[in-house]
Order: sequence, then C-alpha cells, then structure tokens
Amino acid sequence: MGAPVARAPALVGIALLVLEIGAAGAQVKLLPTEEAFRFSARALDARTVEASFAVADGYYLYRDKLRFSATPPEVSLGPVALPAGKVKEDQFFGKVETYRDRVVVRLPLDHAAAGQAVTVRAESQGCADAGVCYPPNAQSVTVTLPQAGAPPGPLIDANPPRKRWFN
Amino acid sequence: MNEESPRPPRGRRWLAYAVAALVALGLGVYAFRLLPDPAPGSRDSGPLLAVSLPDVDGHPQSLSQWRGRLLVVNFWATWCAPCKEEMPMFVEAQSAHGAKGLQFVGIAVDDAVKVRQFAKEIGLNYPALIGGYGAMELSKTLGNTVMALPFTIVIDPKGKVVLTQLGPVRPAQLERLVADFL
Repeated sequence: MGAPVARAPALVGIALLVLEIGAAGAQVKLLPTEEAFRFSARALDARTVEASFAVADGYYLYRDKLRFSATPPEVSLGPVALPAGKVKEDQFFGKVETYRDRVVVRLPLDHAAAGQAVTVRAESQGCADAGVCYPPNAQSVTVTLPQAGAPPGPLIDANPPRKRWFN
Repeated sequence: MNEESPRPPRGRRWLAYAVAALVALGLGVYAFRLLPDPAPGSRDSGPLLAVSLPDVDGHPQSLSQWRGRLLVVNFWATWCAPCKEEMPMFVEAQSAHGAKGLQFVGIAVDDAVKVRQFAKEIGLNYPALIGGYGAMELSKTLGNTVMALPFTIVIDPKGKVVLTQLGPVRPAQLERLVADFL
C-alpha cells in the first residue's frame, strides 16, 4: 500500500530533475578564461621546464597564438617546439591548428642554475565551441629548478581551482 | 499490548521525507529558472550611452548620438571568428531596417588598422568604434562577467536595455527585436 504512494512524488521528483538538467543544457554556462585554459608548469631538471595547458571540454586554444617567456631575463628560453595541433578550417583564418584537452610543451632554459626560481609566462588565446572567443591572456607560474639528479619538481597551477558549492 | 503500528517502517518514512524534500527543492529551483532574468530590463543604459570612443578615423563618437533608435551595441574583435561570422548579418539588417530606426554600433577590442581592414572586407555599413582592451573592461561592467566575445547589448528607443547577450545573436532574435521595437 505504502509503496505506490511513495512512488508518485518520486516520479515527480525525477521528472523535475530531468527538466532541470534540460534547462541547464539549453543555457550554456561559459567558463572564465583561466578556468577554460588552465596553465601549469613543473621543472623537469635544471635546464627544462614542462609547461602545460588543461583545456576544458568544448574549448580550444590556437597554436599560433601560444607564446612563452621566462624571467629573470638572463634565463632565456631556447627554441620551443610546439606539438602539432588539430587542423581546423576557419572561414576567416584559413587552416589553423588548435589544441584541445591537453597540450604539453617543453621549454629549454639557457643560463639557468639548479635551485633557481624561474617564472614561466604563457600567453594564449582560445575559444569555446559555444561560439565565443577569449582575448589573449597571460598566465604565470614560478618553479624552482631541481638539483642535478633530483626528481622533477611538483606541478604548479597558475590558478589553483577553487572549491565551488553552487554552480 | 498487541497494537499494530499504523505508521510505515522507519526507513520508508525517512525515504518519503527525502523524496518530498527533493521535490520541493526541484520545484523551487525550477520556479526560479522560470522567472525572467531581471538584469537586462532593469539595467540602466545611461553608463553605456555616456561612452565616447574614437571611430576608425580617430574622431570621438558618443553613443548618446543614437539615443532614440533601436541601438545594437556589439563588442567584437578581428581575432574572434564567431564575431566575424555574425557581422554580415548585422550589415544586412542595418541596410534593411536602418531607415526605420535600427542602429548597429560595433565596439572593437582591437586596433584601428585591423578594424579598418576587416570593415572594408565585409563592407561594414555601421560605425566601428575602437575600444582596445579597455572595451573588454567596459563590457564587463555591462554584464560580460566571463569577458568573452561577441557580447551584444540592445537598447530600445526608450533607452531601456532589452537584451544583454554573450555569444552570437541568432537571426530570429534580431527579427524579434525589429518586430517588437520598430
């Protein structure tokens, strides 16, 4: 007897939940640029920093808009080999390469010393599939170069994710 | 006493409460979603109409000169593909409904050289103002909290903000605005 009575509100609840999800899907919620394109870096050894972007699902970065620099100025970056991107045919920009999901770039450092703190700055520009683009944005991470033979340093986020209770 | 409990077992009662709470929460959230966004209508168009920016020739242009028209202020940039994609539709609408009082104004988060070149490419027939990166900050104060482009604000002839939108304007939205206000 009790079961069917309890089932009715449960069904209403589920129906509303489905409506809820449907409404949320119809209204695209866009991430701020630092959350859409999370920059992080770690020191691999005294001469190499590994920079990476975690690109949120539904977002992409332009390969040719990616720029790296390092400070202090005496620590100059050697030639950076950007990985190949996914070719996208753009109505205005022609064939452009884009990065989705994750892109990892090795940055060779000249004149760097073990134990030194180096700030790596990445300039990037990207868009969301929802039909918006973000202006060029710079994010920085400071890493400490490990001693010779020591393991790589920890991965450091440029913008550590914040806990969100309501979203 | 051998009294049978009229109440359902504890576990099931708890479940009923949980379901009821869930339903109430769902209804509340759903009702909230159904409420129209109070922001666009109540937002004052004053701060935007007070803006003055240089056009591609460097002459300052105040947005207040278009007061009384159905004013579509579109923040865009040449590095923004979705922005460029929707602009030919604006050009078309400007020539179709301009005489009736529709007025597009583009605010470019860009420099004049690139803007001038793209304007030529698509035969831009409405003013393109040069805002530089400062225009991004301006758009933020007007509701573009995510700070992405395109971002469009529509002010009706009475000076009321009737649309604030991040992302491309759909043709149907534009038709609706023209039908409602012109």
